[in-house]
Amino acid sequence: MSWSRDALTQRIYEILRGELLAVGDEFTPQSNLVEAGLDSLAVTQLMLAIEESTGIWVDEGLLTEETLASAESLAACVHGQLAQA
Amino acid sequence: MASSRKPDRVPLTGADCFLRAFDSEVRRMAGSSHLSQLILRLGPGLDADALAKLVAETAQAQPLLRSPIRRPLGFLPPVFRTDLAARAALPRVEVHDARAGSGDAREVPPLFAARLNERYASRRGELLRCDVVRYDGGSAGSDVAFTWLHMLFDGSGSERFVRWLDEVGRGLRSAGELPDEVRAAGAGEPAATRARGDLALRWRARMKAFAARAPHSVAGPLRRARQDLRFDLTTHTRDETALIVARAKRTAGFLTPMLFYLAASVRAHHAVHHARGVDPGSYVVPLPVNLRAKGGQGEIFGTRISLVWFQVFPEQAESFDGLLAELKAQRLATIKEGLVEAGSAAMDFARWLPRRFYARLARDGFDGELCSFFFAYTDEFLPGMTSFLGAAIENGFHSPSVPPSPGSGAIFSIRDGRLNFTHVRQEGVFSGRELELFRASLRADLLGE
Repeated sequence: MSWSRDALTQRIYEILRGELLAVGDEFTPQSNLVEAGLDSLAVTQLMLAIEESTGIWVDEGLLTEETLASAESLAACVHGQLAQA
Repeated sequence: MASSRKPDRVPLTGADCFLRAFDSEVRRMAGSSHLSQLILRLGPGLDADALAKLVAETAQAQPLLRSPIRRPLGFLPPVFRTDLAARAALPRVEVHDARAGSGDAREVPPLFAARLNERYASRRGELLRCDVVRYDGGSAGSDVAFTWLHMLFDGSGSERFVRWLDEVGRGLRSAGELPDEVRAAGAGEPAATRARGDLALRWRARMKAFAARAPHSVAGPLRRARQDLRFDLTTHTRDETALIVARAKRTAGFLTPMLFYLAASVRAHHAVHHARGVDPGSYVVPLPVNLRAKGGQGEIFGTRISLVWFQVFPEQAESFDGLLAELKAQRLATIKEGLVEAGSAAMDFARWLPRRFYARLARDGFDGELCSFFFAYTDEFLPGMTSFLGAAIENGFHSPSVPPSPGSGAIFSIRDGRLNFTHVRQEGVFSGRELELFRASLRADLLGE
């Protein structure tokens, strides 16, 4: 399956909201992930879930303040990795 | 979420029971309890009498703070008997007066380390105490230590407790209202299913695999010595901390800086072993992982952690970068293989098993050792909280107790842009020269010198 950036954003948002973070309606694809409670364990679980969905393992070196700024920015990072794969 | 239900019996979490096993061993071997401690260094303005009154008020409203821990019928999983709390004494709050020393930095009162060597009567609900050291009657500031039986809170919970206490003291919430407490009778009691059993066995197999090259702590195995803990606090300047934090994020990862501090701690212990000319076997270290729901305020009470266990070998500790790469790989593999959950499952079974079972499991496998040393990185200390009951928080950190063997604990946290390192150690385990070596190695790795 090929992933568009929007589809990736939606998938990442669903994983975060449904499985990893205890957040309310105020959490959106633009919300800051660290401020929403994403921590070291959750981010690795997120990477595993993304790998399960896309087959791509995101290099942990790419997980920075900028890429974890939101589900959207993380999706952009994953999308970039997918394009290179 | 406010806690409106007050069940008569509140089950200990699996992690609580895991710690209870070590509490039992520390009682038997070292004559004290397995405690933890949070220290606040405050500017002027704390009303110590008001704090004492507040602690009493909250302990009356929240019986968990003084509930006897008992094992129903002698074999069922242990519980906090909140129905018996009213008979228990209120947490002790003692105020001590001292003169402010000269210079900018005041020493951490030795009394606080001494408090870590006490024995708490958990069966009578003795779970928490508070000490206030007032300097010049409080006009030159105060130091406050909360010391508790480790099953009452974990490090994260203790920070939530302090925040909650402050909010109650300032009238922002009532003493009966907890921010986000979900533990009630029956809640958090995982079923001892076959699937959980398989997970627990997987954890056990992992621990057994470590035994091929068992660790030797700096204290040596199975010390039967009276607990005599001291701790040294190193507070880095803001400039140094900025360098260290940037280096940690760059080398270990934006959300995994704890591996950087762990690598530095392994190498500091390695420097001591090397100087002694002693083979450490391997370095086996557990890293606590917070299991609270991410994003909420989180519960105050109970130990809500699992452990990621690492094993590295002396030859891997020779290079900081190589060691860090190994720790990163092991952390990822541990999470991928479900060993965090397996660790939780194993701790859940501790609820049913005799207290000595777990300590024996580790000590039998590791030639009498529990691990190489204790380690924790708790990130920001009370982030966003600038004062406690009206007094400015000048610094704050954790100082959990460590059993006489392994005899050494490395605890890191960051307060207001300054890295605090607390080295908790059993007196006599390190010589003066070894402490110098330890500190020099740690500093060099933290700062990349």
